[in-house]
Amino acid sequence: MVSTESDTADPILTCDGVTRTFTRGRSGWLSSPQDAQTVVAVDDVTATINTGDVVGLAGPSGSGKSTLLHLLAALDTPTDGRVILDGTDTTTLSESQRAKLRLDEVGIVFQHFHLLPSLSARANVALPLVQRGVPTSTRRAKANDLLDAVGLADRASHKPAELSGGEQQRVAIARALVTDPSLLVADEPTGELDSETGRQILDLLTNVADDRAVIIASHDEAVLDRADSVLRLHDGRLQSESTPSMHREIPHES
Amino acid sequence: MKFLSRLRAVVGIAGAQIRTQRLRSLLAVVGICLAVLSMTLLTSLGMGVVQTGQEKFDASGRDLWVTGGPVKLAPETGGFQNSLDNSHRIADEIMARDDVSTAYALGFQTVYVSPNTSEFETIIGVGAPSGGQSVTVTEGSQYTPGDPHYNGGSYDGPMTHEVIISPEAAERFDVGVNDTLYIGSTLASARQHEFRITGISPTYSNFLGSSNVVLHLSELQEVSGTTGTDTASLVTVRLRDGANPDTVAADLESTYPTLDVRTNQEQLEATLRQQAVLIAAGVALVALSIITGIALTLNLVLSLIYQQRREFAALRAQGLSVWTLVGVVGTQAFTYGLLGGLLASGLTYPLADVLNVAIQHLVGFENVVVVDQRVVLGGFAIALVIGLASALAGSWSLARQPVTDLLDG
Repeated sequence: MVSTESDTADPILTCDGVTRTFTRGRSGWLSSPQDAQTVVAVDDVTATINTGDVVGLAGPSGSGKSTLLHLLAALDTPTDGRVILDGTDTTTLSESQRAKLRLDEVGIVFQHFHLLPSLSARANVALPLVQRGVPTSTRRAKANDLLDAVGLADRASHKPAELSGGEQQRVAIARALVTDPSLLVADEPTGELDSETGRQILDLLTNVADDRAVIIASHDEAVLDRADSVLRLHDGRLQSESTPSMHREIPHES
Repeated sequence: MKFLSRLRAVVGIAGAQIRTQRLRSLLAVVGICLAVLSMTLLTSLGMGVVQTGQEKFDASGRDLWVTGGPVKLAPETGGFQNSLDNSHRIADEIMARDDVSTAYALGFQTVYVSPNTSEFETIIGVGAPSGGQSVTVTEGSQYTPGDPHYNGGSYDGPMTHEVIISPEAAERFDVGVNDTLYIGSTLASARQHEFRITGISPTYSNFLGSSNVVLHLSELQEVSGTTGTDTASLVTVRLRDGANPDTVAADLESTYPTLDVRTNQEQLEATLRQQAVLIAAGVALVALSIITGIALTLNLVLSLIYQQRREFAALRAQGLSVWTLVGVVGTQAFTYGLLGGLLASGLTYPLADVLNVAIQHLVGFENVVVVDQRVVLGGFAIALVIGLASALAGSWSLARQPVTDLLDG
């Protein structure tokens, strides 16, 4: 269930009046303060996402999609407002505390996979567990289980360069799930894939949403069609024509 | 337990990175190895030169060296520039002292030498007043003792026309004991002076590092036209037992204020000071090699980080701490340093042997490159410093990369 206000029973993620601004044009020594320009990337966004939701995040380039995604995934903190992830206000956390929160609560899937080329699929999947100090045998077992779940049991020893794009994205999804996060964030997860492979990846992403929330940012309406609900951004603001109005509950299509 | 598990994983990932990037890793290791080798070999050479020089001075059986001024090497002859006049008189006066056992004037001069009168080569002529203890003969015999041609300064005594030659000269001119050589400081002079070889001695070639002929000093002066000034290169002094070299040197300097009097150690230092430019060049070469090693390794590490910046950013986004990734990069750079250091340490000894063979072939000195274990350990430490410096710089670069910017890119 997604709503634009905090009124649900089991919210995993709540953003409350979230605004994120950036200052541009002050990078050079010769630049004067007058050159600085404040850009509002995300403007007063309020939404609540519950466990089991598959939420699409849509909007044209420059609409603030990626910035909002970073805020929701605790990669960044808002200039104003609050992001509460599994009961923790991310705005109050230090960078290292947010990293710990991400490790425990957030899995992230990228458009370009971003797997370490020197490691096997299994080792890539197990990487987040390294941070937790999980013993090698446990890491291997968990990585094998997840690779099995994404249909790559027989490719566990292969390096990314030996895998197809779809297989690499499956590995990336397995890596994102290895810490058993309560929120899975995917940024253009099918952008590098053909339509059939993209469909398989979407199947995978929607199938893991039973005990977690999944947010998928995409330009592709076919991808957004698979979401239970869609948050549409324009110039950093949630658009009323693309999403339910600020105080209207977005239908949950399950 | 968790820390150990994480550490093992970090080392494992670094190992995988090194194995995957084989060419880069090899280049880094070779770069560090070369930097360390330049340090260990040049230092070993420098130490060997000092040690060999000290041994040669000690083995010369002399305690003091008297010259007419600053000692200057003459590169063209491999000897010293002549700078002491009235050498016989000064040597006799010094020898008359109670605390002096012997005092001999020695001259070094480039001379033309040939077994016939047509094909001459230039080598070092050594003027020594007599054989005696000065020269150790391995084949044949000493030449006539004393310096009869000098004849109290008149240079009208008989010339013995006797010469002792080094083994290298014997081989070079294909001559032996009782053969003859033509010797002179000019071709005309050489054609007029025929000398009989009385013996073969390595004494001065050990000292000078090149082939030479040893004549009576007065006869060397005769064939080189310096009898008028009685020019020699130096006067060597052996003290009686119990005499203090520093005390005698100070006393001689007060007696002969225009002369320089040096102990063995001072003479070696003075000789080395003449090579200050060469030594500075060696030190600069070592420093540059180390800087190059750091630059090369750092460049490889930074390019590796840059190449994988988005992968690292993705892992940080996933919750991996920057320190875990710093551990991976740092371990990688440190491993390069470790491997480079080990390789250089292992190669230092055989390469020193190769250098010794080359040096002996070129200048005649044996075992000039002396490898001290401390130098090898120092080189190894420098390799680790290179690795560590690269690791720190790489880690700094990694830590300051903004994750969200990289993910956007």
